[in-house]
Amino acid sequence: MNHLLGKPFIEELPPSVAEKLHAATPNGETVLMQVATDLDASLNYNPQWVVVTDRQVLVIPESGADGARSMPLGEVADANVEERVGMGTLALTHKDGPGIHVPYSRSLTAKFAEVADGIRQLKDDEPLSLPTALEQTHCDQCGRRLPEKDGVCAACLKKWQTFRRIARYIAAYPVRLVTTIAMTLISACLALLPPKVTQYAIDGVLSPGWAAVEIPLIASEDRLSRLGLLILGLIVMRVLIWCADVVMEMLSRPLGLRAIGDLREDLYRAFQLLPIRFYDRRKVGALTSRMTNDTDRLEEIMTHDFYFVFSNTLLFVGIVGFLLWMNWELTLFVLAPIPLIVLAGTKIWYRIMMFWTQWSGKWGRLSAQLNESIHGIRVVKAFAQEARESTRFDRYSEDLRDVDTRGERVWFVFWTVTNLLMNTGVFFVWYFGGRQILGGELTLGALMAFISYLWMLYQPLRWFGDFYSYILRAFAGAQRVFEVIDSEPEPYQKPDAVRVPRIEGHLTFESVVFGYDPGKPVLKGVDLEVKAGEMIGLVGKSGSGKSTLINMVCRFYDPDRGRLLIDGVPMTDVNLRDLRSQIGMVHQDPFLFDGTIAENIAYGKPDATFSEVMRAAMAAEAHEFIVKKPDGYDMRVGERGGRLSGGEKQRVSIARAILHNPRILILDEATSSLDTPTEKKIQAAIARLVQGRTTFAIAHRLSTLRSADRLVVIDEGNIAEVGTHRELMDRQGIFYRLVKTQQETTLDIFMTAVGMETE
Amino acid sequence: MTEKTEDWKPIPIEMAHPESVDPRKIRLFKEPEWILRMTIEGDRSYTRVKVVRAAPLTEPNRYFSILDSKDEAICTVKDLSELPEESRPLVHEELDKRYLTAEIQKIEALQNEYGVTYWTVDTDRGSRDFVAKSVAENAQWLGDTRVMIFDVDGNRFEVPDIKALDRRSQGLLESVV
Repeated sequence: MNHLLGKPFIEELPPSVAEKLHAATPNGETVLMQVATDLDASLNYNPQWVVVTDRQVLVIPESGADGARSMPLGEVADANVEERVGMGTLALTHKDGPGIHVPYSRSLTAKFAEVADGIRQLKDDEPLSLPTALEQTHCDQCGRRLPEKDGVCAACLKKWQTFRRIARYIAAYPVRLVTTIAMTLISACLALLPPKVTQYAIDGVLSPGWAAVEIPLIASEDRLSRLGLLILGLIVMRVLIWCADVVMEMLSRPLGLRAIGDLREDLYRAFQLLPIRFYDRRKVGALTSRMTNDTDRLEEIMTHDFYFVFSNTLLFVGIVGFLLWMNWELTLFVLAPIPLIVLAGTKIWYRIMMFWTQWSGKWGRLSAQLNESIHGIRVVKAFAQEARESTRFDRYSEDLRDVDTRGERVWFVFWTVTNLLMNTGVFFVWYFGGRQILGGELTLGALMAFISYLWMLYQPLRWFGDFYSYILRAFAGAQRVFEVIDSEPEPYQKPDAVRVPRIEGHLTFESVVFGYDPGKPVLKGVDLEVKAGEMIGLVGKSGSGKSTLINMVCRFYDPDRGRLLIDGVPMTDVNLRDLRSQIGMVHQDPFLFDGTIAENIAYGKPDATFSEVMRAAMAAEAHEFIVKKPDGYDMRVGERGGRLSGGEKQRVSIARAILHNPRILILDEATSSLDTPTEKKIQAAIARLVQGRTTFAIAHRLSTLRSADRLVVIDEGNIAEVGTHRELMDRQGIFYRLVKTQQETTLDIFMTAVGMETE
Repeated sequence: MTEKTEDWKPIPIEMAHPESVDPRKIRLFKEPEWILRMTIEGDRSYTRVKVVRAAPLTEPNRYFSILDSKDEAICTVKDLSELPEESRPLVHEELDKRYLTAEIQKIEALQNEYGVTYWTVDTDRGSRDFVAKSVAENAQWLGDTRVMIFDVDGNRFEVPDIKALDRRSQGLLESVV
C-alpha cells in the first residue's frame, strides 16, 4: 500500500474492506486517498469507504457482503459535494451513465470537500494536491469532539500550563507579588494562633485546678493579669491579621488590575494583527466576549483568588499539622468522613452546575426577549402584539424563577447535610475527647482548641471546593484568550519583504485559485493583467467572486494556487505595511469611527493639517454639508458614524480615501442606494479620485461603470468577458444581458410607479 | 391621476404568484434511470428536478416543493395524494435522500460540562456520539414533547416524543433542555 500522502486522506482500512478492495483491484493499484464515511447507502450509521486509486474511484461498504462499486477516473464527468439537510453527499457524475452518490453526515463535510477536489484534480490529470491537515475537530488528548473547530477542549484544559501563564503576567511585578504573598502568609500564620492561646487561657489561667499536671498553681490576682495579657495578645493578633489583610488587599488589587490590563492589551494587539481569515467564521459577539467576559473572570482570579491559594494552602497544612500534633488518633477519626463529603460534593456539584447552565441559558433567553422586543418595539406596536410579547416574557421569567428555586433548594440541602456531617464529627470529638479528659489524657483547653481547629479546617476546604470550579471556568476563558494571543499574526514583520515605497499599480493575476472553505473555490483560476492607472469595473452576479478578487488585491487572503504580482513582485513578498498604506477603499456602507468628521477624514493620515483635510472634503463634495453642521468639521459622528446620513458617510469616506492618497483604489458599491442628486455629486467626487490611480470598482448599477477603462465580467469564479462598455455591449454576452435585464427592471418599476402596464 | 387611482384594484395574491400548477397534471419520472424529470401535462417539461419539503420540521409529510435544476421553485404540492399515483414513490425516494434526521430512541449517556453537552445515543440509524454546544440555543421544540437537537456540525437528532423514552433517558434529557 502506498502512503504517499500521509495522514489526513489515507485512513486505516478494516480487514473486511481491505479484502473487498483487494478483490476489486486484483492487479494492485496505487491508492491515493482512502477515507471512511459515517453513513451507508440507506443512511444508517455504518461506514462506507471511498478509495481513490490512480485508475478509479471505489466505494466499498464496510459491513455486509456487497462488494465495491467503482467508476474509472477517465469516466468521471465531475466530482462535487452536495449539501443536503443534516447530511452531505459526494456526487460523482458519470460522462454517460448513472453517477455515484456517497452520503456522509455533516461532521465530515470538510473532509469530503477535499476528497471531491482531489478527484477533480485527478480526472483532469492534474497532480494531486491536498492540504496536509484538516481543521481539528477532535481533542488531541482525549479524542473528544471539540465544541468549536480548532477550539479548546474544555475537558482537557492544560490547567497547570495555563496557571503558569497567568502567573507570569502577575510575576511581571515581582516586588508587589512577593509582598502580597508574604502578607497573605502572615495573615494565615497569625490566624493559626488564637486556638492555641485559648487553650492556654483555659488550662493555665481559668481552670488550673485540674490541669495541675502540666501547669503550676498561680495566685488569682496573677491569673487575672495573665488573662488580661492573653486577651491583649488575642486583640493584637486580630489587629495584625487585619493589617496584613488590608495591606494585601491594597497591593493585590492594583497588581491584579495591572496584570489583567497587560493581558487585555496583549489580546487587543493580537486582535489587530490577526489576519482577516481569523474573523471570517467567528461572530463579533463571541470575539468581544473574549475581550470582556473571559478577561473579567481572570480579573477576579488575578486580583484575589490567586493569592489565597497560598494562604489557604498554608492554613490547611497548618491546621492539619496542629490537629495531628495535638491528638493524631482523634484527628484521623474526625477526618475520616471528609473524603465522603468531597465525593458527595462533586456529585452535588454536578447537579448545581447543571442548574447553573440551565439558569444561564434561561437568563439568556429572557434577555434576548427583552432585547428583541425593545429593538422591535415599532413592529410589536404596529401589529398590536404587546400582550403576546408580555405573556412570552412572563413565561420565560417564570421558567427562570423555577430553575433558580430548584437550584437553590439543592444547594441548601447540600449545605445542611454537610453541616450535619461536620457537626457529627464534632459530637464524636466531644465524646471521645471528653472520655480522654476524664481519663486525664487530655486537658479541656486542648479539647476546645482541637474543636476550634476542626471548625477552622472547613474554611480552606470549602474555599478550595469553590475555587476549583471557579478557576476551571476562568481557565476555559484564559485558554480562549491565549488562543488568540498565540495565533499567527499577519506577516507585518517579515524581514526579507520587498519594500515598495511607491506602488505603480500594475497588477497581474496568474491563474489565481482561492476559496474561503476548502473544496469550495470562489475564484477558479483568474488570469488578469491590470495596467498602472487603469480603472477596472467588476461586474457579475452576487456571489460570483467580485469582492473576493478585491480581497486578494488587499492581500486579506493569499491565493490557494496561482499567484498575484504587484509591479512584478509577488504579492506574498511585498512588505505588507507598504502595500496596505497605499490601498484606499470606499465601501457601500462606510465604517466611520466615533470621533469628529475631521478625525475620520484624517484616519489614514493622522498628521494631516486642517487645510489638507478641508481640501479632501472639498474634492469629495463633502465640504458643503459639513460646514452646514453646527459643529462643522468638529462634529462628532457617533458610533459607526450613526449621526450622519448614508450619503454623508459615503462622502466622508471618499474624503478619507482622497486624503490617504492611495495608489490603488477600491470602490465597492460606493454609490449604491443613494438618491440621484447625491449620487451625481459622489460620482463627480469619485471621478476626481480615480485620476492616475489603479482602480477597481464594483457596482450593481451598471450605468455607473461607464467611465471604467475596461469591464471585467466574473461568472462563477471565472473571468467570462473583458472589454470596454461598448465592446461588451456589441458582443451581446453576459454583460449585455445583465444591462438589458436592468433596463427592463428599471422600466418596469418606473411604469408601475406611474401606473402604466408594461405590456 | 386621481382617475387612475380609482381604477386601480389590488392584484389577488394567487394571480401574482407564478406557481399555479394543477398537481394532477404533474408527472415525475426518471429518464434515463439517474435523471429525475418532471412534465406538466400539456405545458412544459423540466430535467433534473429536485423535491424538497417546504417546512421540513413542522410539516414533514405535506407541502412539497419541486425545484428546477437552478433551484428555482416550479410549484408546491400540498399533499402527496394530489399527485398521480405513479409519481408518489419518486417523491419519497427523493425526500429520503435529501433529509437526514436520526430519531433518538435511547440516551445512553449525557454529560454536561462547561456548557457543552456530550451525548451517546441509540437512534433508528444506529448508535452515535455527538456534541452540542449550549443546548438552550441548539434545541428546538416542535411541540410539547417533540424536540430537535442540532449538534456542532449541524447534524439533526430528533426525539419525537419525550414521554415515549425510557425514564432514565427522559431524566437525562430533561436535565439539559
